[in-house]
Amino acid sequence: MSAATHNVAYSALTRRYFEHPVNAGVLHGLGVGRGEAGAVAEGTWVRFDVQVLHGIVTAARFTAFGCPHVIAVASWITEAAAGRPGTPALPEPVPALRLRFELPVEKLGRLLTIEDAWCAAIRAAVTNLGAALD
Amino acid sequence: MSARLPVYLDYAASTPLDARVARRMNAVLTDADAFGNASSAHAYGARARELVEAARAQVAAAVGCEPAEVIFCSCATEADNLAILGVAEYYRERGRHVVTSRTEHKAVLDACRELGRRGWQVSFVTPSSGGYVEPAAVVAALRADTVLATFMHVNNETGVVNDIAGIAAVCRERGVPLHVDAAQSVGKLPLDLAASGAALASLAGHKAYGPKGVGALVLRRSAGLQLAPQSYGGGQERGLRSGTLATHQIVGMGEAFALAARECEADRVRIAALAARLSERLLALGGVLRNGDAARAVPHILNLSFEGMEGESLLAAIVDRVALSTGSACTSAKAEPSYVLRALGRSASLAESSLRFSLGRFTTEAEVDTAAAAVAEAVLRLRAVSGYPWVAAGQAETVGAAGP
Repeated sequence: MSAATHNVAYSALTRRYFEHPVNAGVLHGLGVGRGEAGAVAEGTWVRFDVQVLHGIVTAARFTAFGCPHVIAVASWITEAAAGRPGTPALPEPVPALRLRFELPVEKLGRLLTIEDAWCAAIRAAVTNLGAALD
Repeated sequence: MSARLPVYLDYAASTPLDARVARRMNAVLTDADAFGNASSAHAYGARARELVEAARAQVAAAVGCEPAEVIFCSCATEADNLAILGVAEYYRERGRHVVTSRTEHKAVLDACRELGRRGWQVSFVTPSSGGYVEPAAVVAALRADTVLATFMHVNNETGVVNDIAGIAAVCRERGVPLHVDAAQSVGKLPLDLAASGAALASLAGHKAYGPKGVGALVLRRSAGLQLAPQSYGGGQERGLRSGTLATHQIVGMGEAFALAARECEADRVRIAALAARLSERLLALGGVLRNGDAARAVPHILNLSFEGMEGESLLAAIVDRVALSTGSACTSAKAEPSYVLRALGRSASLAESSLRFSLGRFTTEAEVDTAAAAVAEAVLRLRAVSGYPWVAAGQAETVGAAGP
């Protein structure tokens, strides 16, 4: 076809989180905020639900439409973020994530989409918790 | 099928060599009298020539033309180029306009684009949403200075069959020769070039259980056409395709085409049942769209778009279990959605998340079941991650449950 054969190689870590993603789904409850970025029509869309209590990320879930790298990284973030401060920043900076998952540089923009969604979710969580306590 | 390799459902890309063809080729390769140059005047040349001419007759019989109308070359791509560039150049004083469609194989599209670079004008007919070209659309594109129309018989991505006789008729009424890329046709459905009205047709050995590296252009004498050769040298094949003839390859193509003609109907019936089994299981998943008009397609090719997942992920999830082609050109950068599916009106996203299943003579029911199970598993897993089905046209809400 322009029907092409598969020619993208994935690291073992990417394959692991792509084939067995953890924390896929949604969260509800006190201190939960939702953030999303990207668009299905653009090929990458990511949404996070994050719970921040007492300034700490206590739980996170993700929903993603994207390539294996996007799914794997989004899943890993929800796992790695648990117990970390609830500040609008990824558990690991984008350049480090790119190296960890061996993303080709051309896919860097997809990590930025993930970062936007994550930071938006954290901000929403903090805002929602504040509103609930008020 | 080897246990360590995925199920092969990519027969439209290439078919395995039929063992009967391999035996025939091996007999030629090990025949101490058959190694000569088919152009040589001595006995060794005569023996090779005899084999080539027998194969030429087999190919002609399989596609409904005269042996003298078969010009052997290396592949269908070369045949397409010889036909398109050859006609256009020869008749350059008559006109500099050619007509084709948006869903042709790259071998045709790129040859036409090359003509565009050389100063010709090219009109690209848009097919119907079902994937076939309407003769009326061809009429609208033909002009007084059109020197060639070129349309494929069976689309390599969707399997949809064009009405070649209908297109040839409208071309003939206006004095325009028709070239047909028939690379996907042989063995899939009966092919009678004499009855079709086509002036030229391109054929490939390896799409019909023959060897790679050999193809043919059929140039119908009744069309009264001349071609400008695209290669120069020894003047083989009536001066239209210079180069020493590869006897064993040609013999293999001849044998493969003879088998294809003989077994076409039996293959078609058996493969249609397998394709129906596969189609039924995958369509039952929901959110699966058939690409191309099934009523006008060969049964061997099933092209489906899967909602709720990205194309690269879909392929990555099944590539270890099923070997097939996808609707996107996966690169590490941006995937390019299939231009064929885009021309049929599919969104870029759905074009990318499409899979082409192409079955063949050696496909088994067990392989179909394995493939269906692998794809279903991947689709359900990826949809769970993406939250499909989405409530709105966008992706604002999902019905996904909390994860593990």
